[in-house]
Amino acid sequence: MNRHFNALNRSYLRACLLGFSALFSALAIWVPPIDKEVDVMDVMFVIDITQSMNVADMRYQLEAVNRIMWSTEMVHDVVQEMDCGSHVGLAIFSQHRSLVLINPVEVCKNYDVLVQMLAHIDGPMAWELSSEVSKALFSVIKNAHKIKPIPSIVFLTDGHESPPLHETIRPKFTGTPGVVSGLLVGVGGDDLLPIPKRNKQGDVLGVWDVKDVLHQDVYVSSRFNMLGADKRVAKTEHLSSQKRAHLRALAGIVGMGYISDVQKVQTLINAIKKEATTHPQIIKYSLAPWFSFGALLLLIVAYYPAISRKKRV
Amino acid sequence: MSFGGLYWSLPWLLLLLPLVLLPWWRHKQEHVVAWSRFVPVDPLSRIIGLLFKILASIAIAGLVFAFAGPYLPEKEVERIGEGAEIVLLLDRSRSMDDPFAGSVETVQVGLVTPATDKSKRRMAGRFLNEFIQRRPDDRFGFVLFSSEAFDLLPLTYSKGAILATVNASMLGKGLSDTNITKALVKAAKLFEGETYRGARIVLLVSDGGSSELDLATQERIINLYKKQSLTIYWIYLRSRKGMTLDVHAGDSPLWVDLPERHLHAFFKSSKLPYRAFEADTLEDFSKALDDINEQQYQTLVVTEIISKEDKRQSFFVLALLALFALLLSQLYTVWGVRQAHG
Repeated sequence: MNRHFNALNRSYLRACLLGFSALFSALAIWVPPIDKEVDVMDVMFVIDITQSMNVADMRYQLEAVNRIMWSTEMVHDVVQEMDCGSHVGLAIFSQHRSLVLINPVEVCKNYDVLVQMLAHIDGPMAWELSSEVSKALFSVIKNAHKIKPIPSIVFLTDGHESPPLHETIRPKFTGTPGVVSGLLVGVGGDDLLPIPKRNKQGDVLGVWDVKDVLHQDVYVSSRFNMLGADKRVAKTEHLSSQKRAHLRALAGIVGMGYISDVQKVQTLINAIKKEATTHPQIIKYSLAPWFSFGALLLLIVAYYPAISRKKRV
Repeated sequence: MSFGGLYWSLPWLLLLLPLVLLPWWRHKQEHVVAWSRFVPVDPLSRIIGLLFKILASIAIAGLVFAFAGPYLPEKEVERIGEGAEIVLLLDRSRSMDDPFAGSVETVQVGLVTPATDKSKRRMAGRFLNEFIQRRPDDRFGFVLFSSEAFDLLPLTYSKGAILATVNASMLGKGLSDTNITKALVKAAKLFEGETYRGARIVLLVSDGGSSELDLATQERIINLYKKQSLTIYWIYLRSRKGMTLDVHAGDSPLWVDLPERHLHAFFKSSKLPYRAFEADTLEDFSKALDDINEQQYQTLVVTEIISKEDKRQSFFVLALLALFALLLSQLYTVWGVRQAHG
């Protein structure tokens, strides 16, 4: 009698499994994609292309590269990993301001364009030799307000100010910290290294000499009475290292994050995700994979040999 | 990954394919029979049994394939459209920050806000933006120039990309001087290596000329532009009121040696297809763009991207059909077992 029940139960069970499997397959076919909210970012990458960024003290995939090259490669890798629906813009920094090359565009549709543009970014694009990092950062933030929606800023720089800043007289940030979110990515090592001198064509013409650059800010240089105090300072402005303390302080002033010594792309992506403002975007999300998973699972159970064996008397 | 002529979004799921063997596993549910002759020989039920095993395998295979996300990748197709391939040369020099020469408004220093900002560059950008949107088939490229020139955007169909580049050029202040020759060369180079698809235009929007117009440079430009069959349109945003590109009797002597006049004279003498539009006001500028818009509808080979095509559906249908047949047979079995043990 028990055995008869089993035979009947088994048939029932399999009929049910097959039935639901068929139902799930039908749902996979006829249930339309649903709206789903995903968090996407709008990021404006700003790459420092001033002379100090020509110092080759970075490593990208085991190769020694200069700071500009490292920055463009990193941005390239980040862009590659970003979710569709996110927007990326590119800007460069020279003199005391940034120049936006392209406003944020959707990454998946415009991936090729972004990659081609990144490949163009290099030292010769700089229109002036000076490198006023603080002012440039403030100008980036100002420009960001003119773009809708306001992008988060990822600013890749070594923090080398040329001409140097006075300890107390610094450019003022007039905005509200944190309104434009972002991240300063410190580029460059800790050793003071000579800076290659490049001309408009990009050729290297030796290095910057101690006599070529200002070692004090313009304000002090013009005031005789303050000059004496600064005279003892070692003249190192023709050499360059990453100015960590300065970058950390700048990040604090504008309410952004600061990261340096980035080895892996994922580290940078995580840092950007942590700092960047995300906004929800509706995407079409298909449930078909879930239905097919269900249908397949039921079918496997229906034909799994153990069912029969277990019930065997 | 490609397999069987299709691409798969989750190819590793194809490793589940051996599951099709499940229905063929010996179910061992038959009882020990003392003598094989006791088992009735029934070729029909054997065939039916085989058939259902095949159907079950098909259902499993269908679902595994569908689960692995088959698709056809996006592909390019060519069609005949109407339009042109246009490289935009938008002047980013400081003088472009000034308002139009013919504009009556005076911009007070320090009072320039985005809302009241009537700078030539911003106005030009806004109208170029509109122009681009009016031309669905065109392919656009972009050269950024001031004292140097950079071929920022190679020819692209992405309207999003060209609009974002034009909009970006409206931000911030101008860079330095105007040097058109370098920009002209860069613009021509963007067409190098491209197959000829239709009208090719270099659209120059600037308020200045070029100081480096020696004979060698002139020759270089003429050769490049002839080789690439380029037409030059120059929308000249006048920086001095009343000044014209063409020389007139009674002109101010200060205008004689202006770089823009040199450039205009060079373009005219070059025998290259060329037309200049002189814009004093915003209306002039938008009219120039309208003129170009109307003139430039020639046959153009347009490459279109057909987006990726989901191929899951057919596998689901296959699995569903097999499952339906299996379900019917199983229901029949349930009915049969009930009859037997009822």
